[in-house]
Amino acid sequence: MLATQKAGKILILATESCAYPGANAVGQAHSSYPENVFILRTRAPVLFPERFYIECFEKGISGIIIMSCGVECPYHGAYEVLARRIDRVFEMMRKRGLDPTRLRLTAICTVCTRAFLKEVQQMNEIVTKLGPPAAERTDTPPAEAS
Amino acid sequence: MKRVTKVVSSDSRVGVYICHCGGNISDHVDVNAVCEKISNLDGVRTAKTNSFMCSDPGQEMIIEDLRSGEIDRVVVASCAPSLHEATFRNALSRAGVNPYLYEHANIREQVSWVHHGEAATLKAERLIAAAVAKARLLKPLDPIRIEAKRHATIIGGGIAGLKAAKDLSSRGIEVVLIEKSPFLGGWTAMLDTLAPTGEKAADLVSSLAREVLEHPLVTIHSCSQVTGFEGSVGSFRLEVQKGPSDSGVPPVKDRGIFIPFRGYLPEEDEQPCKAFVVETGVIVIATGFKPYHPKNGEYGFAEFEEVVTLPRFIRMLAERDAGEGPLSIGGKEIKNIAMIHCVGSRHIPGIHEEDESGKLNEHCSRNCCSATLHAARLVRDRFPGTHVFEFYRDIRTYGRFQEDLYSKASESNVIFLRFEPESPPVVSRNPRADGSSLKVAVNDTLTFGERVEVPADLVVLSVGMQPSDVSDLIEMMKLPVGADGFLQEIHPKLRPVELSVAGIVLAGTCQAPMDTGEASAAGSAAAVKASAILAKGYVELDPFIAEVDLEKCRGNGECVKACLRQGALYLKDFDLHGEKVRKAQVDPVLCTGCGACVAVCPENAVDIRGWTISQYEAMVEAIARES
Ligand SMILES: Cc1cc2nc3c(=O)[nH]c(=O)nc-3n(C[C@H](O)[C@H](O)[C@H](O)COP(=O)(O)OP(=O)(O)OC[C@H]3O[C@@H](n4cnc5c(N)ncnc54)[C@H](O)[C@@H]3O)c2cc1C
Repeated sequence: MLATQKAGKILILATESCAYPGANAVGQAHSSYPENVFILRTRAPVLFPERFYIECFEKGISGIIIMSCGVECPYHGAYEVLARRIDRVFEMMRKRGLDPTRLRLTAICTVCTRAFLKEVQQMNEIVTKLGPPAAERTDTPPAEAS
Repeated sequence: MKRVTKVVSSDSRVGVYICHCGGNISDHVDVNAVCEKISNLDGVRTAKTNSFMCSDPGQEMIIEDLRSGEIDRVVVASCAPSLHEATFRNALSRAGVNPYLYEHANIREQVSWVHHGEAATLKAERLIAAAVAKARLLKPLDPIRIEAKRHATIIGGGIAGLKAAKDLSSRGIEVVLIEKSPFLGGWTAMLDTLAPTGEKAADLVSSLAREVLEHPLVTIHSCSQVTGFEGSVGSFRLEVQKGPSDSGVPPVKDRGIFIPFRGYLPEEDEQPCKAFVVETGVIVIATGFKPYHPKNGEYGFAEFEEVVTLPRFIRMLAERDAGEGPLSIGGKEIKNIAMIHCVGSRHIPGIHEEDESGKLNEHCSRNCCSATLHAARLVRDRFPGTHVFEFYRDIRTYGRFQEDLYSKASESNVIFLRFEPESPPVVSRNPRADGSSLKVAVNDTLTFGERVEVPADLVVLSVGMQPSDVSDLIEMMKLPVGADGFLQEIHPKLRPVELSVAGIVLAGTCQAPMDTGEASAAGSAAAVKASAILAKGYVELDPFIAEVDLEKCRGNGECVKACLRQGALYLKDFDLHGEKVRKAQVDPVLCTGCGACVAVCPENAVDIRGWTISQYEAMVEAIARES
């Protein structure tokens, strides 16, 4: 894969009380980051079922970063449930031949601008290296094939 | 101003309004090109630009299009939604349209301020397309309205709780204050004079406590604790247990009295032990902090009796042996005092030892520098024969008039020694016969790491602030806690006293280390927020809560199991065409709208109103699509 290749799109699911204002703080500091990053505001990412992530990759999204509030989540217990769900999504990704590093669960606070930029940069390197998810996916998940 | 209007046949008629934001957006995003492209999207009836969408003419443009019936929903592409989402929702209301038929695209903070050139334009276009995709699926929503009881309950009678009680009652709101100890005043009552002003803590606590006690709308229950909690904003029900008074002081009559280093003792209740119920509209949590208790052996604590904490020293100083002359405590003359900063604060993983529960206090306690310098200066002013040595990592005398404490301490010849966290001062017995029983050794970075030994008759540990143990309340009320263990507001800057549990607000040091001035301000802020909640007699909540599609629901109960707020989702039997069926139901008052239920429903029968999975799917499709 050429390093100059245009990186695929990265979706960020950012919590409205922590990571989304954190991303805005990056904007207020006028710190640039790659434009292939698209941020969607969520109340709590615990909302999304496992299939949502897989379908995002099927739609052509190359990488997803869940930027949660971590253990500081205002919804008591939601982060722990989310973390367990993401483990299951990793499992599903592996079965489908999708590199699990395309999905990352992290915690970003309202002023965590450096952490935000680091996460974005790392995911950008990953999706640039891996290319689009379609190239990687096996058509039939191995579990279902057997 | 650019306008592109077209005739389309679509169920939803979206109007898209793109802001130049002066040049903040349009200097980097070609807004006219974006407007042109967006106007061609399915469902978009009109797309317009304006220099400032938030200005009156900008809002009028939207209102006119809505009133004419040309559009029935709106997307504004401008700055961050935290700034103007509410502005534009209000514009929809003014046009007589449901305010929830609105979606916001953030093309300033997340586009023009971080990307440039064509890439910025393309990204703005994708984000607006995503907002349009969501807007097309929006449904009108009504805020949830709940009757509110004009009554507030304050838990904790420190400075923050007392101030909140005073402010709430002066607005005509009935207040119950629940204090677990026999005294009012909290930790402020354990102090002598306060930094930075030098006021007497006793005067402050007494005047505030008296005002509160005298107010006919306030009822104080000391020696009391909340043991049960149910309900929601506007109508909470608290069970309270009042225990026996262990004040060790004979009961007082009338207005109560201030007892130094204990607090303000209110008049004794006729019925000492009882259980009772309080019905209330809002709850103010003002449970305060507890000072860090050093570990055995930490800087010689509990090993040498000459090592004391700052609160203890403040009291010793206030109650010192009577008479003129040098500083003596318990008959012993104190010639040298070593004060060590940051004890139990600013812990660094790998350097400091965790407590039994594996926790470190990584936060700065914010008060100790000022309080230590204040005490040091008092000593130097009153007892010039006593030397004071301060061992510090950094001096953090933040805030108004606080830096003066540092300069004045320096002027009065307090001697400063600075240490790195990995090489803290060491307290040990002094073998020399110079009169001081202890010595403190440190690699002083102010003299380039020179090893310095200081004799000490007394070592004072400037202990930090930790959250007081309110695990019972946290469990009962599902209060959010930050990584530092303090209770956590919704947003540190924009919603600083509110919690994610509607109707419960925070006041004072239960939230973070604060000095008395800040705790008092926080008490006032909590009172304003609480009275705003109660002002209308009802409360309106965002309608973003779970909704069950009864057609799809099979009543398997997965959502009820996954629900994070007990009682917010439950199964209910319905009579459907003569057949008994069991389906999930949402309690709109209890549901916080986290969505934990949405992800687990095998029938996809649950969604969060205004934030549905299909809306997200539509947004992802719009983003993934090639420009
Ligand atoms: C050593 C030291 C020196 C200081 N010096 C200064 C100074 O010089 N100047 C200054 O401005 N500030 C100073 N401070 C800070 C000051 O003490 C605090 O700002 C102030 O006490 C905070 O008030 P509060 O009401 O938030 O909490 P607190 O004072 O802790 O009061 C909380 C109250 O809630 C009660 N409570 C707790 N849990 C419950 C429960 N579950 N149910 C019912 N009641 C409960 C407690 O009994 C207490 O009465 C100092 C602090 C320390 C530790």
